[in-house]
Amino acid sequence: MLWYKAWLETRSRFLTCLATLTIFCAVFVRHAQGLIGPGWTADYNRLLFVTQQFLVIMWILAVVLLGMGGIVREKAIGTSSLSLSLPVSRARLLAVRVGTGVLEAIALGVAPWTIIFLISFLAGVPILISQVVFYVALLLGGGLTYFAMAVLVSSLLEGEYTAPAVAFAVVLLTAIIFDAWLRPFNLWRMVTGDSYVDRHTYLLAGHFPWRGMLASMSGAAVMLLASIRVIQRRDF
Amino acid sequence: MTNTSAIRTHDLTKSYGRLTAVRGLNLSVAPKRITAFLGQNGAGKSTTIKMLLGMTRPTSGDGTVLGKRITDPAENRESRRKVAYVAEDKPLYGYMTVEQTILFASSFYSDWRPDEAIRLLSEYRLPPQRKVKSLSKGMRTKLALLLAFARRPELLILDEPSEGLDPVAIEHLLQTLVTRAAEGVAIFFSSHQISEVERVADHVCILEKGCLLVDASLDHLRQFYRRIELVFPFPPPEREFRITGVERIQTKGHQMSVFASSNAQDVVERAHNLNAVSVEVAPVGLRDIFLETVKEN
Amino acid sequence: MFFKLTPTTGQPLYLQLMQQIRHATETGALQDGDQLPGIRTLAEELVVSPNTVAKAYSELEHDGLLELRQGSGAFVSVKRRTRSLADHVQLARRRLRDLIEQLRENGLLDEEIKRAFEAELLYPADIVRKR
Repeated sequence: MLWYKAWLETRSRFLTCLATLTIFCAVFVRHAQGLIGPGWTADYNRLLFVTQQFLVIMWILAVVLLGMGGIVREKAIGTSSLSLSLPVSRARLLAVRVGTGVLEAIALGVAPWTIIFLISFLAGVPILISQVVFYVALLLGGGLTYFAMAVLVSSLLEGEYTAPAVAFAVVLLTAIIFDAWLRPFNLWRMVTGDSYVDRHTYLLAGHFPWRGMLASMSGAAVMLLASIRVIQRRDF
Repeated sequence: MTNTSAIRTHDLTKSYGRLTAVRGLNLSVAPKRITAFLGQNGAGKSTTIKMLLGMTRPTSGDGTVLGKRITDPAENRESRRKVAYVAEDKPLYGYMTVEQTILFASSFYSDWRPDEAIRLLSEYRLPPQRKVKSLSKGMRTKLALLLAFARRPELLILDEPSEGLDPVAIEHLLQTLVTRAAEGVAIFFSSHQISEVERVADHVCILEKGCLLVDASLDHLRQFYRRIELVFPFPPPEREFRITGVERIQTKGHQMSVFASSNAQDVVERAHNLNAVSVEVAPVGLRDIFLETVKEN
Repeated sequence: MFFKLTPTTGQPLYLQLMQQIRHATETGALQDGDQLPGIRTLAEELVVSPNTVAKAYSELEHDGLLELRQGSGAFVSVKRRTRSLADHVQLARRRLRDLIEQLRENGLLDEEIKRAFEAELLYPADIVRKR
């Protein structure tokens, strides 16, 4: 019943973020639709592109929030003795937490885009499913690295508020660093689709960045494995 | 049930930098027995228990719980299946309701007794739908105890179980411990309530500054620990009484108070040989044994 | 059965229980053939370790006062016809009276005599014999 526990723990965070993201996107798209004039196709795609920018920021903040928790935090609030005395391995405790978080992160990426797709369809401005899939894939493939970072931070730092503070600081820092120095490896640009958008049609074009995705997923995997090691070695 | 120790440690040590919390501990807790674990705060009791449950890794030394090594995570996990532990702070997940907590805990253990859980739920008068975070301290303690008592583990480890309980609940707690012991469960509990320990414990371990100072059956302590009050016609020579078994001597003028863990007879004999005016031998309660033991150390 | 054990005195609880069971057989509260509660039941009632009850029963069986039947429980077995308590106590008090008179003649104060008795009683006959 570890999944049940993880769900109960993250339920309110997840539902709040889900509502926020979905409503924001829906409202944004619906409202902006009214401002589009003739020659709207490219403009509409541009609107979607802009929506993704906002969605990425909110999504990353949301998954960092979902990545918080775990037995190190439980130590701070005093429940770690219960979790650790269960006949389950620490790796399993972490794995279930990560699994729940990943599922929730996927839901947070898919739901808003589904709503956007439906709204567009109902408004008579259908968008290509391939575009939706592209956007969602970029978001998840690249963005889950941030989730993994949040898990690692929450496994290293004690203190109820220290871990989230540091995690959000890392998000901010990476945004700055990527923009200033690591241009070729800019995760942000990949995730938001900035690297692949055609400036004329504002459609995502070109090959799907498999290498980039792989690199980013590997980074996430490394951080998660590191989290497991950190948790296993820790004294409680 | 086998006759191997429920808990056995060998030179178990835990240091945090220069601070040594547990020092060369050789502990042995027998099955079907109630063993009490006494010690001041910071004496190393909780650290010891955490090492036994795999929460903390020993700096050196080793141990087994129900025959499984504590330093091997997989083996330790196996032993945890048959160990019920109630930590001092009675940890529970605040966001779960009483019912959810019970459902959650029961899913991990094959020794869970659903009928027992239902019975305890009504006996402790716990509201099933109430969230744990809005329970009073006493009810939280009872719920934490329920999670342990609704099972039939081979070993029960309790850290300050009666803390926060009213006298009726304490009586229930002690009765439950006695019943479990009769069913063959090994019980290892730490407590500051000496009176409770004196009633139900078979064996007592006293820990001070990480070292095991006393490790004996309560019957043995009752039979052999004595305080001998002596009065002499002259200021008595302390060194005459520093014999085996004598733990502490206090002298004031012509009076001498000898605290002995054994050999009270020899002390009395020596006192007579030295023409003591008054010789009084009195038993020592567990509280005094504890206080004298940690004081002299 | 109304047993009351006092954990705070210097006497192991199992010895106290043994004495109280013996006393019960002497006063007639327990008669030959009566069944004592099971180990677990009595332990729960008195809220003491079952090992205490087990040891008391075992020692009394060794002394011949109890018969432990596998599966059925503990049964009182008063083999000899013992004198009633009243007789015992009367005899004891007469002997004590003489002894106390003698000690007083030797110059001991009543307080000293009392304390001497208490000190001696801390070493019950059973333990002394076993040593």
